[in-house]
Amino acid sequence: MNYIIEMLNITKEFPGIKANDNVTLQLKKGEIHALLGENGAGKSTLMSVLFGLYQPEEGIIKVRGEEVAITNPNDANDLGIGMVHQHFKLVHNFTVAENIVLGYEDTKYGFLEYRDAIKKIKSLSEQYKLKVDVNSLISEISVGMQQRVEILKMLYRDAEILIFDEPTAVLTPQEIEELMHIMRDMTKEGKSIVLITHKLNEIKQVADRCSVLRKGKYIGTVDVANTTVDKMAEMMVGREVSFKVDKEKAKPSDVVLTVDHLSVFNQRINKDVVKDVSFEVKKGEILCIAGIEGNGQTQLIEAITGLTQSSNGRVVLNNQDLSNQSIRDRNVAGVSHIPEDRHKHGLVLDYTLEENLILQSYFTEKFQKNGFLKFDAIHTHAENLIDSFDIRSGKGPSTIARSMSGGNQQKVIVAREIDRDTDLLIAVQPTRGLDVGAIEYIHKQLIAQRDAGKAVLLISLELDEVMNVSDRIIVMYEGETVGEFDPEHVTENELGLYMAGSKRSDH
Amino acid sequence: MTKIQHFLKHNIVGVVTVVSLFLLFFVLPSIFSGSDLLLNVNRLMIILVGLTYIIYKYMMFRQNYPNFKFAESTTLVNVLGSVIAIVIGLIFGLILMFFVSPANAMPGFFTILKGGFNNLKSLGNMIYFSVPIILTGLSVAFAFRTGLFNIGATGQLTMGAFAAVFIGVRGGFLGDIHPLLHWGVAVLGAGIAGGIWGAIPGILKAYRNVNEVVASIMLNYVAMYLNTILITTYIYNVDYARALDIERTSATPTFNLDLLFPTSSVNGGIVVAVIIVIILYVILNKTTFGYELKAVGFNRDASKYAGMNAKRNIVYSMMISGAVAGIAGAMMFLVVGKHLKPENILLQEGFTGIAISLLGLSNPIGVLLAGLFYGSLQQGGYYMQLYDFKPEIIDIIIAVIIYASALALFLQTFVIRRLKAREMTIDAKKVVEQEKEGDK
Amino acid sequence: MKKLLLVVSALVLTFALAACGGTETYEIAMITDSGTIDDESFNQGTWEGIVEYAEANDISHKYYKPGEVSDDSYLDAIELAVEGGAKIIVTPGFLFETSVYEAQTQFPDVNFIIIDGYPHAGDWAPVVEDNTLSIFFNEHESGFLAGYAAVQEGYTKLGFTGGMAVPAVVKFGVGYIAGAYYAANELEVDIDFSDDTYTYFGDFGPSDDFKNIALSWYTAGTEVIFSAAGGAGSSVMAAAADTDNVMIGVDVDQSGSSPTVITSAMKQLGEAVQQGLDAYYNDEFPGGDIWYLGAEDDGVALPMESSRFDNFTTAQYNAIFDMLVDGDVVVPADYDALASFLEALTATDTSNVPTREVVTGQ
Repeated sequence: MNYIIEMLNITKEFPGIKANDNVTLQLKKGEIHALLGENGAGKSTLMSVLFGLYQPEEGIIKVRGEEVAITNPNDANDLGIGMVHQHFKLVHNFTVAENIVLGYEDTKYGFLEYRDAIKKIKSLSEQYKLKVDVNSLISEISVGMQQRVEILKMLYRDAEILIFDEPTAVLTPQEIEELMHIMRDMTKEGKSIVLITHKLNEIKQVADRCSVLRKGKYIGTVDVANTTVDKMAEMMVGREVSFKVDKEKAKPSDVVLTVDHLSVFNQRINKDVVKDVSFEVKKGEILCIAGIEGNGQTQLIEAITGLTQSSNGRVVLNNQDLSNQSIRDRNVAGVSHIPEDRHKHGLVLDYTLEENLILQSYFTEKFQKNGFLKFDAIHTHAENLIDSFDIRSGKGPSTIARSMSGGNQQKVIVAREIDRDTDLLIAVQPTRGLDVGAIEYIHKQLIAQRDAGKAVLLISLELDEVMNVSDRIIVMYEGETVGEFDPEHVTENELGLYMAGSKRSDH
Repeated sequence: MTKIQHFLKHNIVGVVTVVSLFLLFFVLPSIFSGSDLLLNVNRLMIILVGLTYIIYKYMMFRQNYPNFKFAESTTLVNVLGSVIAIVIGLIFGLILMFFVSPANAMPGFFTILKGGFNNLKSLGNMIYFSVPIILTGLSVAFAFRTGLFNIGATGQLTMGAFAAVFIGVRGGFLGDIHPLLHWGVAVLGAGIAGGIWGAIPGILKAYRNVNEVVASIMLNYVAMYLNTILITTYIYNVDYARALDIERTSATPTFNLDLLFPTSSVNGGIVVAVIIVIILYVILNKTTFGYELKAVGFNRDASKYAGMNAKRNIVYSMMISGAVAGIAGAMMFLVVGKHLKPENILLQEGFTGIAISLLGLSNPIGVLLAGLFYGSLQQGGYYMQLYDFKPEIIDIIIAVIIYASALALFLQTFVIRRLKAREMTIDAKKVVEQEKEGDK
Repeated sequence: MKKLLLVVSALVLTFALAACGGTETYEIAMITDSGTIDDESFNQGTWEGIVEYAEANDISHKYYKPGEVSDDSYLDAIELAVEGGAKIIVTPGFLFETSVYEAQTQFPDVNFIIIDGYPHAGDWAPVVEDNTLSIFFNEHESGFLAGYAAVQEGYTKLGFTGGMAVPAVVKFGVGYIAGAYYAANELEVDIDFSDDTYTYFGDFGPSDDFKNIALSWYTAGTEVIFSAAGGAGSSVMAAAADTDNVMIGVDVDQSGSSPTVITSAMKQLGEAVQQGLDAYYNDEFPGGDIWYLGAEDDGVALPMESSRFDNFTTAQYNAIFDMLVDGDVVVPADYDALASFLEALTATDTSNVPTREVVTGQ
């Protein structure tokens, strides 16, 4: 069997740590090869080596059987290797065609010449059933379409080997389905694909083989058809992982949060981004608001927590109307909030761990007296939480938050918000960007809070999470609630249709 | 761990390094300027004993904290950045001096190094000249810590200076009650005037989202012209084209410092500066108010999320910053024989304060040291006039040293980035190790 | 180990450097007033005189800059100059009055020349010790020469801008008015020089505002402006250049600064300081004296060689200069004297003579 790319025994060391330790990746022509590993397992280092961004200390790279030296990304392009990045690199006020030819423009008498380029793009688009309109502006097309533009960009440059970096993170189930088809079509045409991901069911669905990395080490390569998802997960994490979250049936009691005909008006785009949303969250249940990114969930939560002014409606917590209260008053009244963007809202990255842990409570009697901070109390508080939430950091309470790993940063926020022991816990995408182990941990925490009698409001984009964790699901589409479901009685596919706006139920 | 140990663990190496470098650069050269060999040998002995003690202390420290890593002491990393920058600044200065006057370069250079440590008088003058710079530096640093760039220290200083001089000239009745009352009211007036002037861009920033840099630059000019009008209208000395002499009761008292540094211009300004350093340090590091201010400075979104009133904090921060700059103006002009002039020239001290704030890493204590360093350089430059250097060339050399030193900011980020990269890998390793242990 | 090495090498270096060096001494010293050495004014004029004298007689000389503009710092700078070996110290400007008052007793072996001021304790009671010479100038005579030359040259629309209404500047202005009307009287013409074109800027530094004032005058027809405003004169020069007009400089020969400078109402700073130095080095130092240098003592002048006159000749200049020397014309030094001076001028209209004594700004 001939391999199109072979990365043999790659070792890449950074001061004090081996990011890749004797890693081997062999990509067959025409296959979809998954590269599986947790965050920080060394996937991106390996790909950076392939693109010439890093030079490995040991190991060789062969392309089409010949040993090559790749010293910069241009070398990789010349060898027909192309990458579809997780964060698209597109110019928003350019058209699709302009973006695709960017950097490879033909000119005639010094003027840009698009005719041939457009012809080529159109034929590629048809060949791979990408259905892209070459003349649309990037800002006008959906995220899924934008990803196809990225794919077309690689195809236009005659890439033979395509690397997809976490391609499904931003897509709806339907879009994911279509992407899988496209990938399979491409392999039929002779392209080879490396799929970087930590989503096991996608691998199961589409990949031929799968190589697993763990903590920089190469664990092995398996045939996907003959390997169970659990087995792959074990290879990735190094121990058995349960995907099904164990939880009892919810026993909802009193209503904690009432959102009553809430609307949020956005002046900039001159329309309601949250339209007349009403729901209740009760003690002892996890209500999940599902939806594709940008359908008003963020603004809804901001209106509940006070970060944004609502234009209409009421937010009531334990019979107390919070609608016109300040953020501080809402927090004190009993709202805990694990924010969507932990770097933007959740943490002061330049503060230490212990300082971050009092971000919501520094003003309470516990941590201050006459305006002076009680450092002993703060320190003890931090040590307790580090202990009970298993937060790992280099220097304990005095670690600068910025230097911590994403999972541990999230644990800091979770610990802080749960420790406040409020009736309502709002968690917005609490597992975003985290690896399997951390996700499992956070899910358990959410359920533990529910079982402790808290009302939990969860906002998630991940259907797995929505289905596994929640007791009740509301789907939001374009700022409106379009359906309410019991996770026991709904399929992921059906939810997907609601999320994409193609179905709605009146309730 | 007690508080003191905690403090030591995080600061001792930094403190020791600063003290030793200070000795090395400033004190040693001045001590060895005499010619008596025996005396020098005696002094050398004393210094060696001192150094041995420091080294001994350091070894003990290493023994007690074997795991201490330089990279983990943010203080040290920061100080290192500043020290490197100063050394680079001095080297630039030296090179320039070689171009100007090769024969005098080395003695001139050592005059600069000796700086204020030439004799007691120059030490006093060094302190005297550094006070306004320390205060404007503190003003800029305080705002900077809360995420605001107060480029308007000059204007606030000018307003403060006018208020102080006005009270100094017209408030004689206060002096009749008690001299300190007159002075105190003048300083307070300066603080209030500067505070109001600082609050204006703060209010504009908080409630109208006007960039504080633009607003405060504009206000510098408003203050400059307003000052001219106010002086010529209320306290003008036509014969000398300057403000009237202040009453002696309003002059900054010396607090007996003149006995310590005879014949120098030193006055109690340094006491005021140190008190303000302490106040700002406590506000920033020990209070909930400082916790909020810093949080707003580091991450406005997160502070909003935590329910802090970012707008109010911006106004307070600019107000305090302006008040400190205003007091700098009082310290500059509450001096007998010094006069506020109705010149349409921006006072340089406000801008030098920016460089000093950078050099002092926006830390109150750092600014105090950086300000004294500036004062020392000034004195060094002053005494360099005894060699074949023209004052203008000396000004250039001093400016080069100061501004090259202000590169500290960039160097610091560079050093930190390098060390952070290492630290993070160390952290990552630790986590991996912990996990391995957990696996067992 | 590395640390020890560092310490040792630093010590060695210190010793090595303590060995070298050693200050030179400078006999004639000048302390600069606020402003730079090339201020085209007091600092520069005085310093040039010192350099000329010192180089001709091969005497070491140096200028020192005080730490700041304050009495204490001026005194400190004098001390520094003494430390630098100064035997005679020149201080240009009245801001040195109290500092020299202190210094003359503190350093009885050092001699002082103070220009445009006299030592006093802050109470304006002159205390000129035996080691101090105080030199003043008759600015009104200098201004008179400028005004006279301007009108003789043929200009009939005049202006005056002073920096601030300090005595020296006021005297320049009064003399200028007197000179202009004196020449008009001689020529039996009427000139246009009134309060409309007479102002004090309120500052000695250049500014666009000042340029705008000068521009508006020039556009309204003013032909020549005498600017006794130090550095602010450059704003007037700029305005003159923009409108193709001319101006008159002050204190020192400013012809090099701009082609618009037709002449300059000079104080012979260099000449004066040289007279003082010469006396000192001939052991005739007039300690305790206050000199008032006018035309008689070569203390004021127009720089005829560099002046840009078409009509006004050196012969005319010498004639009027001699009249000042001989006392045939007594130039008024203040507004009272000016009033009586103008009364004698009957061949010209003096009803609109500028009367602004102290007005700042516009």
